[in-house]
Amino acid sequence: MNQRTYRDDEVVDFVVVGSGAAGGVLAKQLSVSGFRVVVLEQGPWQQAAQFTHDELSVERELAMLNRAFEPNQTFRTSPSEPARASLGRGLLYRRAVGGSSVHFAANYWRLRPRDFKERSVLGPISGTGFDDWPITYEELEPYYTMVEWEIGVSGASGPFDPPRSKPYPLPPLPNKSSGVLLERGARALGLHAQAAPMAILSQPRDGRSACQGCGHCTFYGCEFGAKSSSLVTVLPRAVATGRCEIRTDSTAFRVDANVAGRVTGVVYRDKDGRERKQMARAVVLAANGAETTRLLLLSTSLKFPHGLANSSGNVGRYIMFNGSSSTAGRFEHPLNEYKGAVTSRIIHDFYDTDPKRGFYGGGGIDARFPYGPIAFGINGLPDEVPSWGAEFTRALRGYYTHSVRFVSHLTSLPLASNTVSLEPDQRDRWGRPGLRLTYTDHPDDMRAKQWFRDRMQELMEAAGATHVWNQPVLPIDGGVHLLGTARMGNDPRTSVVDRFHRAHDVPNLFICDGSSFVTSGRGQPTMTIQALAFRAAEHIARFARAGEI
Amino acid sequence: MTFTQTTRRAFLRSVGLAAVSLPAAGALTACVSSTERSLNALTRAEARTFRAFATQILPPVDGHAGADELGVVDFADGLLARPMYNDERTIVQRGLADLDARARALGAHAGFASLRGDQQIHIMHDVEATDFFAVARTLAITGAFAEPSYGGNRNAEGWTLIGIEHRASYAAPYGWYDAQPVNAAGAA
Repeated sequence: MNQRTYRDDEVVDFVVVGSGAAGGVLAKQLSVSGFRVVVLEQGPWQQAAQFTHDELSVERELAMLNRAFEPNQTFRTSPSEPARASLGRGLLYRRAVGGSSVHFAANYWRLRPRDFKERSVLGPISGTGFDDWPITYEELEPYYTMVEWEIGVSGASGPFDPPRSKPYPLPPLPNKSSGVLLERGARALGLHAQAAPMAILSQPRDGRSACQGCGHCTFYGCEFGAKSSSLVTVLPRAVATGRCEIRTDSTAFRVDANVAGRVTGVVYRDKDGRERKQMARAVVLAANGAETTRLLLLSTSLKFPHGLANSSGNVGRYIMFNGSSSTAGRFEHPLNEYKGAVTSRIIHDFYDTDPKRGFYGGGGIDARFPYGPIAFGINGLPDEVPSWGAEFTRALRGYYTHSVRFVSHLTSLPLASNTVSLEPDQRDRWGRPGLRLTYTDHPDDMRAKQWFRDRMQELMEAAGATHVWNQPVLPIDGGVHLLGTARMGNDPRTSVVDRFHRAHDVPNLFICDGSSFVTSGRGQPTMTIQALAFRAAEHIARFARAGEI
Repeated sequence: MTFTQTTRRAFLRSVGLAAVSLPAAGALTACVSSTERSLNALTRAEARTFRAFATQILPPVDGHAGADELGVVDFADGLLARPMYNDERTIVQRGLADLDARARALGAHAGFASLRGDQQIHIMHDVEATDFFAVARTLAITGAFAEPSYGGNRNAEGWTLIGIEHRASYAAPYGWYDAQPVNAAGAA
């Protein structure tokens, strides 16, 4: 794609670090508003024709994900424990233009009014950082609508939805067999299944194709352009302004600040490993909750000895992933869940925390089948089926097309002891310290997973499964939702950015991505990340025009 | 703590979780696509033993191709030749040698592949808890169901076996339940 380019020593208006869900929106909105923008993206610019259905490369070798390039993450459950090589999911994200929006499953749930003020409604939870957001649903609602109409979200209103100012721009995607069965189970139990809102086109729009039902969404790029990633929505529009350069293979490793405490630009390594610095009047970090943390912690100086924007000490703290549990079931007839988008129906009856359950937490349930044939062969069958031999081979044939999981998408409480920090003993190819994750689920998070698994077992039975088998309830050891590590708040002593995403400590530094979250929501955070980005961009542009940056 | 620990575990997990950087994607295809195949990672004797092992993992059933017919030996030989799979290659080669040694202890001087099926199965149960078994089983399954360009899953018959129509896109209805007429109450 032809695009405007800038020299490193040209002082552009904004450097945006990261081109994903948030960075794409910020780059587009700021460049459309007339500002000169350089986006630094550490990965390459892939085209739709490069996307494949190659399960070995995509899902097992994780060819485009950070861990393929940087396997040196460590994990521990508490600071008293030595950090060991992370063998679990770790902090997982895509390194490419469009970021993880290229390969997300595209579930686009809004938060609800109560999500922003749960602490006021429910009271404090001792030993946690549970808090209200500094903004309300009503403030964010116009930007949720902007996301839906700007990128293209398919859906239909459900009985528990928060108020919306405009209907969905596109009708829901086709219901899958799993959706029909989730509806059947829900009806039998007096619950309410509704169409899943998905950032995937159900009809052609803006020159993009509708979903072709290929069944390769999670961790795959969409070769049809039907998935509403930043790659095919906001980024082309940013480039088309003639004011935005997306600089690929550019790995940021420091944000420079001057003695006055203002940032002057971003130091990065280009694809040849050369150290360069893009000068800018202001810097916007949208690199995700892990990379944003690393960049802030690496940006130390006399004035900011503990890292940039970290006078509160909360950079990297309060990481949240969203809990999850699941139940599997086999049915009499084929479902063929390997076709179509990830899910078509969701249940939100248990979204809110209910004190009668005895724990903080709530969430949603959907039906999905998270297996390519390789993964299913390795461990998709119930434990009681032999894992090799003739009976195994016949079971693969009998179960692959006939089974599905119901999966919960849950809260995670923010804990100061759950952190992303620098791993000093490990370096990446550019010499940056690796990432260390310290994480233990709050007991309420574990109880929520168990409680939801029990409900899903009831649902699976009510849906008529001929065989139901539970998946173990496991603690979190990483994930793809990287939330809370530079939380928003009104108090500079307890939060990293203010209600407009400006760093409390640095007037010309803005941070907007999953790190901004105060509480976790119930999974599917990208919708809110993008709504925050649309809102942040509007305020950042306003400040810039008023000379208030 | 090494890359290799992470890599090996990644290959064993259901959701691929980590790996070191990839060599050029074309390299693998090139090395398995020639009609006159020369072995890359395995010796001919190792390939014979792996073929017998893989056939016990995924035997031909009900008229469908099993691991051997699906080409998992070529797949494994190509995959294990890639530097990122050095660990797995070592584990597999040691494990295959162990299978042959166990066979010889039973008097089968031609190795594991020359045993009767029930004898092979007996030995495999004995080593089922080893790293070798996990890696070799994963290799066999991966070879059966990966993109055919990797040398296994010949003619996409692995996907046929598991029931996948293997087209590039699909129109709804996808399955039996969403194909049923919807009644007045909205229930299928």
